[in-house]
Parts: sequence; C-alpha cells; structure tokens
Amino acid sequence: MSVETVVTQDDLAEMVEQVWASYLDPEGVSPLIPTGDDKQATEVHSTVSITGTWHGHLVYASSMLAARRAAAAFLAMDADEVGAEDISDVLGELANIVGGNVKAMLPAGCFLSLPTVVLAPETASYYPAAERISGLWGQWEGESISISMWQSVKHGEAA
Amino acid sequence: MKILIADDSRVMRQIVTRTLRQAGFDGHDLVEAADGQEAHDKAQAEKPDLVISDWNMPEMTGIEVLRKLRAAGNDVKFGFVTSECTEEMKSAAESAGSAFFIVKPFTAEQFDEVFSPILG
Repeated sequence: MSVETVVTQDDLAEMVEQVWASYLDPEGVSPLIPTGDDKQATEVHSTVSITGTWHGHLVYASSMLAARRAAAAFLAMDADEVGAEDISDVLGELANIVGGNVKAMLPAGCFLSLPTVVLAPETASYYPAAERISGLWGQWEGESISISMWQSVKHGEAA
Repeated sequence: MKILIADDSRVMRQIVTRTLRQAGFDGHDLVEAADGQEAHDKAQAEKPDLVISDWNMPEMTGIEVLRKLRAAGNDVKFGFVTSECTEEMKSAAESAGSAFFIVKPFTAEQFDEVFSPILG
C-alpha cells in the first residue's frame, strides 16, 4: 500500500495549518504559503522515523532564519534572543508534531521515533532505500520551509 | 495544586506551562521532568496532584511511566499531551488509567475544556 493513498499533500497542509494556528501564527497573519518548489534551499532540518505497518521518514526543513523565528514564536521571545539549543528543540518538536499526526493517519501498528535534528541543509541527510513520495514546499515570511515524506522502498513494496 | 509536566522537549514543557496560564490556570506549583524515568521518580517523590505527560520520551515512555506508577499503587491523576493519537494508544492510555488525552498541536481552549474539571 502506498502511503499516498493514506496521507496526501492536502493532509500535510492541514497539519501544517494547525501547527501554524496553534504556535507559529496564532493571529493568522503570516501563514505558510505553498510554492511547490521542491528545489528550494534549506539550512536546517529534523527527522522522525516511522516503523511498523509503514516504514519511512518525515522531514521538516527550513532556512535558519525560519527556524529562529519558529523558535521565537514557540518560546514567546525575540528572534535575536533565541539560542542554538532553542532552535534544535523547536525543530525536533515540529517534526515530532507533524510526524505524530501523520502516524495517526497510517494503518494501526506504527511506531514513531524520537526526532533527530541536524543544523545543516536537508541534503546533508541521506535515507537509504527510501524515496520521497510527497511533500509540502512553501515560504513563511519569505523564508523556505518544507515538510516531506520518505517511504522505505523495500518495506513499501511489501506493505 | 502541584502539577508535574513531563516532556523531553524543553520548548514543549514551556508551551504547556504557557498554555496552562493562557487557559486561566495560574498559581499552581509546577514541576518538570525531561524524560520518562525522571517523570516516574518525580511523580513518586514530589507527590503531584496532576501529571501532564508526553508519550514518546527517552528512558521510559509515558504509558510505561503510568503503568509503573499504578503498579506501585500511585493513583495520581495522569494524562497525556502528545503528537501521536491512534485508537490503540487512546485505548492503552484509558486501560492504564489515563484521565485525558490531548493531541499536539493544542490550544488554550482545549486545555480549558480538559483541565477545568480537574483544576477548577
């Protein structure tokens, strides 16, 4: 079974909207604007892995400035007060929140890993035997943000 | 009341704290735990009136913490704030004696609805 039949790009967009409404844009004035540009550059990313009835990864990636602004919004502080630890923590939590919501849409019997955060471009990570199956690419206050799903090819074929 | 907030994310512990305040629950004594083992130990040692716990944490998951507390006879009011929400998890939580299940992302309104009967 392909996860695309279970979690669509629209589903990802809905999850992202909820995250923005709750934490990043509670006033509803600066939403994530989808661009569909899957080649956009990112500077930091976080990953959660899902195993069980479906195998793959959920990757949240953004520019450093977007990550800094996200941390500032989460922590209710100014962006210039945010430290590297804050940024890592918030990046991990963003992947965890979206990954948790993705997991809820998958067939029962999946497990979600703790998040892994890498303060380097998304291209610095490699997911062996996995291929990107869907994603949401956009701009938040002019900064790049993406959420993508990678499915393990081997397990995907068996599922 | 004394409230134990257990989450491996410091940011999320702060957000839970802030959301409690936004929902009107000020003035409570807040204690934090950064992993499941610490949550268990503080639930026993600090004797909180309420535990708000993440599900997926290092050392011990939230559900393991709850089960271990109940097995030891600790009847503290305990519930989950987690990004993960499946029927099997909700069912496991209820069976173990969980009082509530809040899914991230959450709002102050949801906190108000869930915690008003508990915190007054």
